Amino acid sequence: MQTIIPKPTTAFSNLIRADFTTQWRNRRAVMMSLLVPIIILVSWKGIIDKVGGPFALSMSLTIGLTSIGIMGYAISVARDRDKGVFQRLRVTPVPAYFIMLSRICVQLVMIFILTACVFIVGYQYDHITLPVSGYVLTFITALLGGALYLGLGQMIVGLVKNAETVNSTSRLVYIALIMLGIFGELGMFGKQLQQMVVWSPFGTVKTILASGMQLSTWNNETTMALLVTFGYAVLFSFLGIKWFRWNSAV
Amino acid sequence: MQDPGSLSLLKVEGLNVFYGNFHAVTNVSFEVKPGEIFGLLGPNGAGKTSTLSAIEGLLKPQSGEITVAGFNTRTDAMLAKANMGVQLQATSFQQELTISEILRLFAGIYGVSLTSEKLKAILCDIKLEDAASKKFGQLSGGQQQRVSLAVSTIHDPILAMLDEPTTGLDPQSRRQLWERIEAIRDKGHAVLLTTHSMEEAEAVCDRIAIIDHGKVIAIDTPDALIEIHKNDPEVISASRKGKITLEDVFIGLTGKALRT
Repeated sequence: MQTIIPKPTTAFSNLIRADFTTQWRNRRAVMMSLLVPIIILVSWKGIIDKVGGPFALSMSLTIGLTSIGIMGYAISVARDRDKGVFQRLRVTPVPAYFIMLSRICVQLVMIFILTACVFIVGYQYDHITLPVSGYVLTFITALLGGALYLGLGQMIVGLVKNAETVNSTSRLVYIALIMLGIFGELGMFGKQLQQMVVWSPFGTVKTILASGMQLSTWNNETTMALLVTFGYAVLFSFLGIKWFRWNSAV
Repeated sequence: MQDPGSLSLLKVEGLNVFYGNFHAVTNVSFEVKPGEIFGLLGPNGAGKTSTLSAIEGLLKPQSGEITVAGFNTRTDAMLAKANMGVQLQATSFQQELTISEILRLFAGIYGVSLTSEKLKAILCDIKLEDAASKKFGQLSGGQQQRVSLAVSTIHDPILAMLDEPTTGLDPQSRRQLWERIEAIRDKGHAVLLTTHSMEEAEAVCDRIAIIDHGKVIAIDTPDALIEIHKNDPEVISASRKGKITLEDVFIGLTGKALRT
């Protein structure tokens, strides 16, 4: 009897199709990820001239990326781990990293959709236009920012085993990051906290997004923010993978 | 690689599994031959699921060798997994997927080409032709187990590993599942199942191993185990109706104390 091992590409394409189907059936959650950034763009219409288009776009994108990585990714991974979905896939002849890679691919597509939506709403509603290089670079910086938040989401599911606790922890971290990010960066909590927010995961992502939209504003601080963002992404992902357990019962 | 047709389809030798300092599985060895249903019995926490998890590659044993159809699960993990069909104790699939999508997913993962006709035939076989577009969570316990078994055997594996497959099923569903398990054996394939039901072990298993505190304490056919141990004082004291049953032997060998 001959043993058939499926081609890695066949196995992966089936996994990714299933993950995209799952994401499509979760349209309501997807809409929620897009809704908050769009609400910000719409509600800030009156102050766009004051704060600048790139500031508004980068703030709304950063919030969207936070939502995708922490709320979307972490909660879905925790839920499926709790239900034994991963264990069921791990007993099949597919490499374990395929299972996660497939999910990450779905989130990367989500990042592209979010970025495109923010650009479209920004243009249509707030009349924000960027140079072509700004649009292109923002897709790249959004991916890096997204990687940071996916890493943070991975760290949460690595640290916390119970799906319900992951759910509440993620929401708490999401709200804390957004509140500190928006109000801290505007200086509402004082100078010291403002400086901390600038170098926090929220601040560095926002900085690289905003500077990527207007290359003329890219300076040493932006390059440093880029390196720090990369460092955060690597650190969070490393710890998240190290701490991650496929089975929540262990 | 050995010729799968002539030798054991599953060979476990000197398996040891630790959880920290806790020795969950101690020097467990057994073989499952083609055309055999092998039962792994034991009280809660005896080491059945740990043994199964080690074979399935879900946990790394500290020592021991496991071969599936001649493929070492450590060095040829993918080949070993391709020859196994696994039904886990708590199986769940992506809750947003329909039954036909689940079957397509696993067929694709195992490299099985699943035409619409073939999919229909599988659904018909598990009496779920009208439930193709239902989600897994919308099915009854018996229907879920049938889907789970269909997924586990979608690639026609030569070794099926079923972890407590009939738990929570009504007698009709249980009988149906037994027939399906026996059909796997009748094809010359092997089945390794764990169960708490002595009735099930007696009814479907050709050989059983009783495992307790991580060690195999008895291994034989159900009839031979009853014959060998029918005069043991512990077995006689466990007997409730005079006639010695497999359950009496099990209680006699593993003790009456409750396990957590």
